[in-house]
This record gives sequence, C-alpha cells and structure tokens, in this order.
Amino acid sequence: MTDEVILQVKDLKTYFHVDEGIVKAVDGVSFNLRKGETLGIVGESGSGKSVTNLSIINMIPNPPGRIAGGEVLFHGADLLKMPVKDLRSIRGNKISMIFQDPMTSLNPFLRISTQMVETIVLHQGLDKKAAKAKAIEMLKLAGIPAPEKRIDQYPHQFSGGMRQRVMIAMGLSCNPEILIADEPTSALDVTIQAQILDLMKDLTARLGTAVILITHSLGVVAGMCDTLCVMYAGRVVERGATGEIFAEPKHPYTQGLIKSVPRLDQAQGDRLRSIRGQPPNVIDLPDCCPFYPRCDKAMDICKRKYPATTEYGNGRAVSCWLYTEAK
Amino acid sequence: MTKFIIRRVLSLIPTMFIIVTLSFFLIRFAPGGPFSSEKKLPEQVLQNILKKYHMDEPLGKQYLRYMGDILKGDLGPSYRYKDQTVTELIKQTMPNSILLGSIALGLAVFFGVGVGIISALKQNRWQDYMAMSLAVVGISVPLFVIGPILQLVFAMKLHLLPTSGWITGRAGILALIMPAFTLSFPYFAYIARLSRGSVLEVLRSDYIRTARAKGLKESVVVAKHVLKGAMLPVVSYLGPAFAGIITGSVVVETVFVVPGVGKIFVQSALNRDYTLIMGDIIVYSLILVAMNFVVDIVYGFLDPRIAYK
Amino acid sequence: MSPKKNQAVNEFNQQVKPVSLWADAWKRLRKNKMALFGLWVVGIYVTVSLAAPILPLYDFSSQELTHVNLPPSLKPAGQVALQRLQKRIAELEAAGGFREDLKSDLVSAKAEYERLTAEISTKPVHQRVYILGTDYLGRDMLARTIYGGRISIMIGLVGTITAVLIGIVIGSIAGYVGGRTDNFLMRFVDILYGLPYMLVVIILMSLVPEGTNSIVILFVAIAALSWLTIARVVRGQIMSLKNAEFVEAARSMGAGSGRIIFRHLLPNTLGVIIIFATLQLPSFIMNESFLSFLGLGVSAPSASWGTLVSEGVQGMELYPWRLLVPAIAMTLFLFAMNFLGDGLRDALDPQSKNRT
Repeated sequence: MTDEVILQVKDLKTYFHVDEGIVKAVDGVSFNLRKGETLGIVGESGSGKSVTNLSIINMIPNPPGRIAGGEVLFHGADLLKMPVKDLRSIRGNKISMIFQDPMTSLNPFLRISTQMVETIVLHQGLDKKAAKAKAIEMLKLAGIPAPEKRIDQYPHQFSGGMRQRVMIAMGLSCNPEILIADEPTSALDVTIQAQILDLMKDLTARLGTAVILITHSLGVVAGMCDTLCVMYAGRVVERGATGEIFAEPKHPYTQGLIKSVPRLDQAQGDRLRSIRGQPPNVIDLPDCCPFYPRCDKAMDICKRKYPATTEYGNGRAVSCWLYTEAK
Repeated sequence: MTKFIIRRVLSLIPTMFIIVTLSFFLIRFAPGGPFSSEKKLPEQVLQNILKKYHMDEPLGKQYLRYMGDILKGDLGPSYRYKDQTVTELIKQTMPNSILLGSIALGLAVFFGVGVGIISALKQNRWQDYMAMSLAVVGISVPLFVIGPILQLVFAMKLHLLPTSGWITGRAGILALIMPAFTLSFPYFAYIARLSRGSVLEVLRSDYIRTARAKGLKESVVVAKHVLKGAMLPVVSYLGPAFAGIITGSVVVETVFVVPGVGKIFVQSALNRDYTLIMGDIIVYSLILVAMNFVVDIVYGFLDPRIAYK
Repeated sequence: MSPKKNQAVNEFNQQVKPVSLWADAWKRLRKNKMALFGLWVVGIYVTVSLAAPILPLYDFSSQELTHVNLPPSLKPAGQVALQRLQKRIAELEAAGGFREDLKSDLVSAKAEYERLTAEISTKPVHQRVYILGTDYLGRDMLARTIYGGRISIMIGLVGTITAVLIGIVIGSIAGYVGGRTDNFLMRFVDILYGLPYMLVVIILMSLVPEGTNSIVILFVAIAALSWLTIARVVRGQIMSLKNAEFVEAARSMGAGSGRIIFRHLLPNTLGVIIIFATLQLPSFIMNESFLSFLGLGVSAPSASWGTLVSEGVQGMELYPWRLLVPAIAMTLFLFAMNFLGDGLRDALDPQSKNRT
C-alpha cells in the first residue's frame, strides 16, 4: 500500500425518484482509496452501500435513479462526467466488479469461456485463442480444478462457491486497479465464505489490486480491510483505519455494531447486544440524524439537524453531535 | 437426447388415442345424423346409405373399423362430397393452409420480435408507445374485422391487391399478401408484447448488470447477453400461436376464399359431414402435437439448463 | 405520539398513512389514463346495454322495405329515400335513351317515387332518423348494434363467470388436495389444452340439433372449455399460499379446510382472478363473434356483433356503413376492455412477472 490516492469520492449523492417521494439512497458520501488498499464499506441492508458503488462506475439505472451531485475522481478524472465510451474502457478493465449472488450474476445461456473471453478480448486486445489461454490461467489462479475442461461448461454446472471463483477470475482477468466486491460471500455457505475471502485477499495482494469490499459483516471486515467506512441511511457516519475503529469506535452506531458481534471471549451467560429498532425507510427524511430514534445517547439537536463531520486526521472522521463543538 | 425424443414421441400416442376416441364417440352420440336434415328419404334408400357407410353396425365394431382405417391412413369417405375420400380432400387443401399458416407465423415472429425488442430498448419513449398501441389494436380487433376492412381499402377502393382467391404462380403472391397479414396480426401483437416484457425483465437481471460492468457496448450486451434468454418465452409461445393460427385460418380462409382445410372444416361443420370433421380434427391435432414437440426441442437447444433425462 | 388516535407515525414523527391493498391499487389505476379511458367506455357500454329497452330506439328487428340500405344521415328516412330515388331516376334517364332493358327499371323507379311522395307525410315511419343507417332489410343499424352488443356482452359476462367458477373449483381442489387428485386433474387439463379450442367449440356447435336455443349452447360450449387457464392460475396461487405462515396459523387454531380455502386462500388469489377475468371477457366476446361470423353462433332473429359484421361484409363495397358500424362498436369495446385489463394487472399485481 502506498499513499497514492487512485480514487476519490467527493460528496456523492444518488437519489431515486419513486411514487412515494425521493429516496436519498446515497446522500453526501466521501472517501478515498489508495493504491493497493482494501477498503471496507459496512452497513445494514438499505444503507446505500451497493448504490454507492454502482454510482462509482455510473451504472445507476436511470430512471428512477439519478446521480444528483458529487464527484468520483479516478486518477483525477471525473467518472461521472466522462463520455460513456471512455467510461466503458474503464469498466471491467481498470475498475471491475463482483456481485453478491453468483447464481444469477453469470449469464446462464452462455459458456464460461464466452463470458470470460469477451472481456479479455475487449480490454486487452488479445485474439480469441490467447484470451482463452489467459482465461484458463485466471481460473487456475482462482482455484478451479481442471480449468481447461470446465471453461467450456455453462454456469449451472458449477456450485455457488465455484461460480464466485469464476466471477473473481473474470473480475481480475484484466488486471484492474480496483476491484469492487459487493457482498461477495453473503449468498454462500459459511464454510465456503472463508475460502472465497482468502482467495480474494491472496489474489489481490499478489496483483496489487485495491479492493472496495461491501459487506454487512464486521467479521469479514476485520480480517480483510485496511480502512473502513460505516454507512447508515445513505451517509458515512464514521471512517478510519480498521484497527482504530475496532479499538475505539466513536459513533454510537459503530459502537452498537461492534457490540453486536458475538465473541469467543464473551463470558457465558452474557446476553448478545443488539441495536434496537429497524433501519429507517429513507423516503423524504427530515433534516436530522437518521440514527436518533435508535440511539441511546440521542439529544435534542439530533432531531433537528444532521451533524457536521469531525475530522481527526489520518482519514479518521465521525459525524455525530457528541463530537461536534456547536451543541 | 435421442432417448428424450423417443420418449416424447411415445408419449404422443396416448394423447392422439384419447383425442380420436373422444371425438369418435362425441360425434356418433350427437343428435341428428348427416342424412337426417335432408328431405325425407325413402326407408329403403336410407338403409342402403347407412349400409354403405357401415353405420348399421354396432358402435363397437364401427369404432374398431375406424381405428383400423386410420392406422392405414384412410380417414373414410366424405358424406357430403360424393366420390371423394376425406384423405383426398385433406391432401388437396392442406398444402394451401400450411403455406398460408407458415407465412403468417413467420411474419408474426419476425415483426413481433423486432418490434418487441425496439419497444423494450426505447421503453416509455414514442417508439414504445407507438408499438404498444399497435399491439393493442392487434389484440383487440378480431380477424374477421381486419380481413374485410383490408379488402375494402386495398382491393375495392385502392385496387392494389386482389380481393380474394388463390392463384398459383407469381400472381398468387399478391393474393397471399392480405390473408397472410390478416392471419399474422394478432400473433404479431401478442409476440411483440411478450418479447417486450421478457427483454425488459432480462435487462433488469443480475447477469446483464455484470455484462455492463465488464464494459461491453450496449449493442453487444443486447445482442449477445439479452436476446437468447429473452427469446425463450417467445419460443414456448410458438405452440399456442400455431394452434391459434390454425383456428384463425378458418376465418381467414372463409373471408379470402382460400381453398384450404379451414374452409372445408367450416363447411363440414355446417353440413354435419362427420367423417370429414373427424379427419380434420385428427390432422389438426397431429400438427399441433408435432409443433409442440418441435418447440420443446428448440427450447432445449436454447436453454442449456434443460437436461433431457 | 400524535394526538389523533388512528394516525400512525414513524420514528421521525412523520405521519404514515395506512394503505390497504385495494386503495393502493385504485391509486395506481387512477394514474393510468388508458385504463381510466377503458373504464369509462366499458361503463358507457354497460349502461347503454342495460338501458336499451327504455331508450328511444326503433325496433331492432322490424323490417321496412322502402328503407333498405339507407346511409347514415340526420335527415328523416323518407327524405333520404326520396333523394336516393331521384338520383337513380336521373341516372337511368341519362343512360336510358339507348338501352331498352333499363326502361322498365325507370318506370318502376318513377312509380316508387310517386308512391313515396304520396305517403311521406302521412306515414310516421318516414319521419324516422337513422343516424347510423339501415341494413339490407331496412332495419335500424343503431338499434341493431346496441342490441347486438347486449347479446355479445352478456355472452362474454356469463361465459367469464362460468369459466371463473369452474376454474376456481377445479384449481383449488387440485392445489389444496394435491397428490394424485392434483396429478389427475392437471393431466386432464393438459390434454384439453392440447386441443385447438375454438375448433372443438365449432364441432360442439355443429352437433347441436337445429332449432335449439343456440345462445345457451354457445355459453356452455365456450365456458366448458375455457376454465383451463384460470384453473391453472388458481392452483398455482393456492399451492404457493397453502404453506404460508398465516395459513399455518389459521390451521393451528383449528380452522377447517373449507374455512381455510374460502376465508384465507381464495381472497388472496382474488387479484389474479380479477385480472384474468377482465382479460378473458374480450376473448369470450371475440370467440362468440367468431362463431357467429361463421354462421355457427347466435341465430336469427337475435344478432350479436359477430352476426352484424358478417352481414355487413356482404355488400360492403356499396354499403360500407353496414360493416363499419358494428365493427367499430365492437372494436372500441374490446379496446377498452384490454386497456382496463392491462391497467388492472399493473395496479393489482405490480410485481407481475407475466407482464406482456
């Protein structure tokens, strides 16, 4: 990991216009990604993690979605203002994605070879034969046994874990600078999850790929990520180095999340903590801290205004009235 | 694969058997024979006629005789078209109907799929609204309204096409245009709506998101990743569409005076020409069953997930 | 909490309006302009059909030979007929000088003209106004189209209701009982599905002895074969709901099978059934007209839209209104029903996968 920042997300806002009103799925998200870094984005379902990442490569379905503001700077160029043609040469090439459900993310009607070769031919300019050799090599790296044979099979002939390996091989086949993995293990068996995470960690370290790992599991984050963004209702409420956040969580939501992870060193008979209530429906939210109804430390001001972000340097920041001067 | 085909062919036998048996008894038990509506025949003449057609025998024997004849490809004599057997009548008319039906189905699939895809890709824009309005017209307006109105406009007022009839050779192509378009219109409309819906659904699927995230051009995404999956519902609709086209050809052949099976079928129903009705039903069912069989196989080729066990 | 009792609020003290499934569907339907248009048109048709006996219409079956094939007009029928005769006489006179055979035509036309002029003011029949013209027996097209519509819509309604009832019964039995019963019923449905349905109806119609009330037979023939799809749909719904938690809950509290089916399962399939029925109705009307067009449906003196179109096709070159009036009336209704059906489907079943 170097200090060179390759991706800067600045005040990103993505809104969805639905019948009931405007859903501010992502509302002012900022973070930086450095070369070779692994960044975790953690939050409950509906907190805007996936939308953030689809917005990065400008793939929000429009309508109903719309990127309402902000910048996504990749090596200084704003991906949101780039012509589609230039953007396409980055997608799958410099920035590639892996999705949650490996069962539905591969085209069931096309052979694995077809799906892998088309990407390699498109971005690397290899001919089909060389591309297939490259694809087989990637499958081998991803731990698929007998890749020369299996490459000609269809997705339904693979198990869930194997398909996710195929997705990883496909995602890394063009040596991307950034791999965005959207809950890559949530749809898999627990026993497979660790294998897939290890594989990702190993391969990206070897290739020097930066990773944005989206997950709702703090366990996954702890083992994988250098830095962390905690999202709640479309906003980043806390970010910083993983170790620091685990050692000293500042935002009440982060504190709640960490406490709700079961631990082996917990005394027997101790009850597992949970955060009460439900994550909010983000349609037409009033200006307030969206977490206050579930927060034990909520104050009056929390109901009236969203707190400014307090920076602590070195990437550490938190958005909570507890740490804001003007109370 | 071969096993699957053999099994499918074998499974057709009971279906055909049930159809033939049902229609045989239904027709024999129906009130009013083919000769009852004519003016009173002398008793002796009637007996002779019944004897000629073996209708004086016990029902069981008649049934066995009929089954035996069918297996030999003999559908019996027509009660009304004297001196012609049902097999001959069907042989004369079937090619015309098949020609008309296949052209109509071809038009319906070609235009239906094309319009459906364009409409899905231009969802909620004017192309979509135009196409879908046309589709509602196709679904709402009955064949027997479209047909005569086309005749009125293109033949009687504009004199561009022949009103009706069936001519062989080059002039025949002109005579074919209106019946084929009329017959294809409702199925064009349905296929357009069907393919629009299924293209839209595939466009929303995860694997299309993957394809776009790989940086593929939108045209490649559509041609390579969307179409195959989106065409599956259309393929499975071909069976029912063909059944509908067979039924529709009854009206279209009547309106445009095409010498096809459909016209003969209506005649036989109006005349209570029972052997001819049964012959028509058997041939129609055979075609339908065969068509569904072909559709199943095509479906299997398109969808790798289907294993022929 | 908010002061009013029935108003729910969310955690941010924003009011949350409780929305029932039906209110929600109505809201969506109201936004759909085409569906609303459909609803209006269908409403008007139904009102006119119901009110036909008390509307100021001429008798739909009385023949008036002097008024044969009159074009649509706002003038009294006597005048329209006279004008037509004048034109004919003028034409005959222009051509008549050279052709012997036209002489007798001219004579009879002149006689007819004189007779009509004489009785035009005395006979009230000539004061009639045929705004949509008359048919080949001098019957009022407006009255015929309205009464034809009555029969077509009635056949559609009765057919749909019968088909839906049979479909619900068979579908729920197959779905709820399952096992062998289900297997048997569905095999049966599959076989019937394989038949070219309209052709079977044609055969059934041809088997009916002449002189029986063909409308009743028509109902039975069409309805007896068109419950198949509804049965399949209901079966599928019931099967997927059968093991839902709320049914388990009802069963654990001692509800019997009948109660579970009628109180818990069927109400939850109602949406699908309504959508289906709305889309089925136009196809019934089309099928009935199809048969009537071929001469196998409604028999004289009754007429349906199909009969009228079929009559109109004869002589459509000279008297196009005889084809166009019933054809347009029928098509407009079918249009409206289809728009309404599509709208209902989008409103009641927004996640529907089988949107086409």
